[in-house]
Amino acid sequence: MSRPGAIPRISLTWLLVAQVLVIIPHLGHLPLWILGLWLGCAAWRIQILRMHAGYPNAWIKAGLMLGAAVGVLFSRGSLIGLDAGVVLLIAAFILKLLEMRTRRDALVVIFLGFFVVVSAYLFDDSMLAALYSLLPVTALLAALIGLQQSGVAAQPWATARLAAGLLLQAVPLMLLLFVFFPRLGPLWSLPLPSERAVSGLAESMAPADIAELSRSSGLAFRASFEGEVPPHEQLYWRALTFERFDGRRWSQASFAQLLPTPAWEKQGEPLRYSIVMQPSSQAWLFALDVAETGLENTRQMSDYRLQRRRPVERTLLYQVTSWPTALREPAASSDSLRRALQLPDDGDPRSRAWGAELKRQYPQPEQLVQAVLSHFNREPFGYTLRPPRLGLNSIDDFLFESRNGFCAHYAGAMVFVLRAAGIPARVVAGYQGGEYNPGGNYVQVRQFDAHAWVEYWQAGKGWVSVDPTFQVAPERIELGLEEALVDEQSFLEGSPFSPLRYRQLGWLNQLRLGWDNLNHGWQRLVLGYQGAQQLQLLQGWFGRIDARVLALSLVGAGGLLLGLLALWLFKPWQRERDPQQRLFRRFEQLLARHAVHRQPGEGARAYAERAAQALPAQAQAIGNFAAAFEAQRYAGGEARPAELRAHLAVLRRALPWRRVIWRAALLSGATRDP
Amino acid sequence: MRIRLNACLDAVNQVLLGKEPQVRLALACLLARGHLLIEDLPGMGKTTLSHALARVLGLSFQRIQFTSDLLPGDILGTSVFVKDSGQFVFHPGPIFAELVLADEINRATPKSQSALLEAMEEGQVTIEGATRALPEPFFVIATQNPVSQGGTFALPESQLDRFLMRLSLGYPAKAAEKALLLGDSRRSLLPRLEPLLDHAALALIQAEVPKVRASDALIDYVLRLVDATRSQPQFAWGLSPRASLALLAAARAWAFLDGRDYVIPEDVQAVLPSVVGHRLRERADPTGHGGGALVQWLLREVPAL
Repeated sequence: MSRPGAIPRISLTWLLVAQVLVIIPHLGHLPLWILGLWLGCAAWRIQILRMHAGYPNAWIKAGLMLGAAVGVLFSRGSLIGLDAGVVLLIAAFILKLLEMRTRRDALVVIFLGFFVVVSAYLFDDSMLAALYSLLPVTALLAALIGLQQSGVAAQPWATARLAAGLLLQAVPLMLLLFVFFPRLGPLWSLPLPSERAVSGLAESMAPADIAELSRSSGLAFRASFEGEVPPHEQLYWRALTFERFDGRRWSQASFAQLLPTPAWEKQGEPLRYSIVMQPSSQAWLFALDVAETGLENTRQMSDYRLQRRRPVERTLLYQVTSWPTALREPAASSDSLRRALQLPDDGDPRSRAWGAELKRQYPQPEQLVQAVLSHFNREPFGYTLRPPRLGLNSIDDFLFESRNGFCAHYAGAMVFVLRAAGIPARVVAGYQGGEYNPGGNYVQVRQFDAHAWVEYWQAGKGWVSVDPTFQVAPERIELGLEEALVDEQSFLEGSPFSPLRYRQLGWLNQLRLGWDNLNHGWQRLVLGYQGAQQLQLLQGWFGRIDARVLALSLVGAGGLLLGLLALWLFKPWQRERDPQQRLFRRFEQLLARHAVHRQPGEGARAYAERAAQALPAQAQAIGNFAAAFEAQRYAGGEARPAELRAHLAVLRRALPWRRVIWRAALLSGATRDP
Repeated sequence: MRIRLNACLDAVNQVLLGKEPQVRLALACLLARGHLLIEDLPGMGKTTLSHALARVLGLSFQRIQFTSDLLPGDILGTSVFVKDSGQFVFHPGPIFAELVLADEINRATPKSQSALLEAMEEGQVTIEGATRALPEPFFVIATQNPVSQGGTFALPESQLDRFLMRLSLGYPAKAAEKALLLGDSRRSLLPRLEPLLDHAALALIQAEVPKVRASDALIDYVLRLVDATRSQPQFAWGLSPRASLALLAAARAWAFLDGRDYVIPEDVQAVLPSVVGHRLRERADPTGHGGGALVQWLLREVPAL
């Protein structure tokens, strides 16, 4: 252990602890063989520590490395990409710890460890994960500190306390950087790890997809309103619309992305709210009708949904203003009407016939829609998440045979019938309702709140939204999915331990809502603090200035801070006023370049003699300066800086600039001890 | 003058082999009008050193062996009734010599010790109401045996402070000891030493030493040293002003011996261990023996410039 460059025991201990702490958050997505590799390597390493085993030789190391690479290739299908990258990184972290012998190796392992800690944020950026990451960081810091301690030091807790203290001291700096450090856009786009690709609405919809979503209690987004939250049954969060139907699936119109936004008129009181959206890997945002947002790179599409240029890959905070009673596209183009009337060429003959018959009965579109809705209401239609399988003519089967289904069935069938009756209509997919959290005055919407409803077009009135599900299961709209499924007991049946299932337990529910509120705050204030929010905040502090001025002033403030720091470090006001002393300092600096450093307690004469020994070629010049200094300073001679300066200049010319430092160092090392 | 001083040093070094620095310090101590405490084992040449110094400087020499039954009168002298004249006649004690060697000073009782120490400080003694001046110059070399401490009375700090310097001679180097073993008995060389200085010359030199220049910058260094002993936590107590005066005086004498008429920090550093070593204690060990480590710390850490 006393070998120079050997790793102190404390550092090694903490590194082993840190390894455990660093890998724990990754456990959820690592392939199993990595765990085996880890346990094996850790056991080996501990045996080395106890001197019961030797270090692996080159062949074993090469084999392990190759094996790890092949393992990643097999379990991830590739060696590149984020998933494979993280696994490779962790494999490297594990293997490097095994072969680590010197301080240099330990430094590599420690920094690798920090990198692995950061990579865990790609999989989970919740508050708990962030708080947890303080643990491995502390352990890594302790290992880093331990590296500087002697090999015989044996107080691991003191080292950890020091590390935690350092971390604590860094908090103000961290806050400062968090608030002020400019948020740079990513230089390249990083695809998210596939484990993170959450369930959510997709680009196309078959009824089974929504049933799938209803089994997930994953969070979709949270919305905080300014002022009162509208009632549950008015919360229709639009995500996207489906206009094409192929007999099985509903999907978006193929060129819907390209169309310009049709005209609409703002009417009534607007609702203002902000939404913190979970990553969805899709580009569309959620909002109530008809929404506008100030978020950059986002626009309103032809079906009035909000869409970003890039998919939402991390938590996104945006402000929305909605006009729920706005008039949408009162005068539609024939193109858009034709798209809203599209039907498959054949199939579902009974539904088509029913549509045609309805059209005969009710020439007014409004009456026709009412008739369809009341049909759903009067006839024995049922709401269930376990619908029977439908045949080839799925609409017919649903409308006339099974009569049991959920929102996607009803919306799809109604749009089909309306189109058959010549009324332009489309399916809207999104979320409905959400759970109100009184503690934080916000609504949280989960995947099981996914919903589909209908909007149809009428000349002069534009697009009008109707919800056929409301006719069948009003409690789904007014109270939420759980109430609608009370009889069926199918609410979250796949996850028996979800706290959402135990809402009737008062204290548990309080706890759950409180915790959710905390997480909401974390997402809104910490994760959501991106470029726009930062600019807004700083503008609030420093007045209305544009980003460039702000950036310049931030740079200025940073410069000022650095300047103050430099002043504090170099203390120019403590600069030697005495010219003799100052010149002597310069003399010292000159000799220090040649590795002749003066000890604080060393007098001028002793120092000069030592320097003359170390630099025999310049002994004359050194001696002259020292003699002149001594004569002026101690022998009562006049202070003549010019004379000292002249001697100094001679010495500087005589000295080569940093030449053969090693030789001077050797000599001075040999003569330093008096 | 300096040539004669160097001749003195050479002469003493002829007798006491391999102890140039200690001889030089002892001479500096004498030139600075201070008294010297030598702490060493028996047989290291303490007596030889004092005797040789007395010879070459032309001083009268007396040796007092301190024992536990030594009385102050044995040091100072007593009045004896003379029958013939019917009067008391004062018989001066051994202290009335110019160079007094007080051997094993810590063997005597505090009362006898203080009789000597008082004489050292005052330069005069008062016996039976009559004040008698001690000879001029007056130089005491006291010795202590640091090993055998049984039945001794250790000098308290206040009395240690009376000595300008404390020295330790130490074992001779191998070469010096070989020369010692091969050559004549050193004691026999002593009578052959010629006085190289007379009283007038010594007085002149002692008067010259305080005139050696101590510049502002140097005084600042002395102050920094003294201040460090007073402010740093490892020191049990700081140096007294008497100690800083002693330090400066010794440094002047050292510079004078070096042939300079000004003091440089190196002079202060040369005399620092022997001048302040016995005046400092570590806080961790206030009753302990030495300030050696503290002195090394001062030499190393206090900025010399």
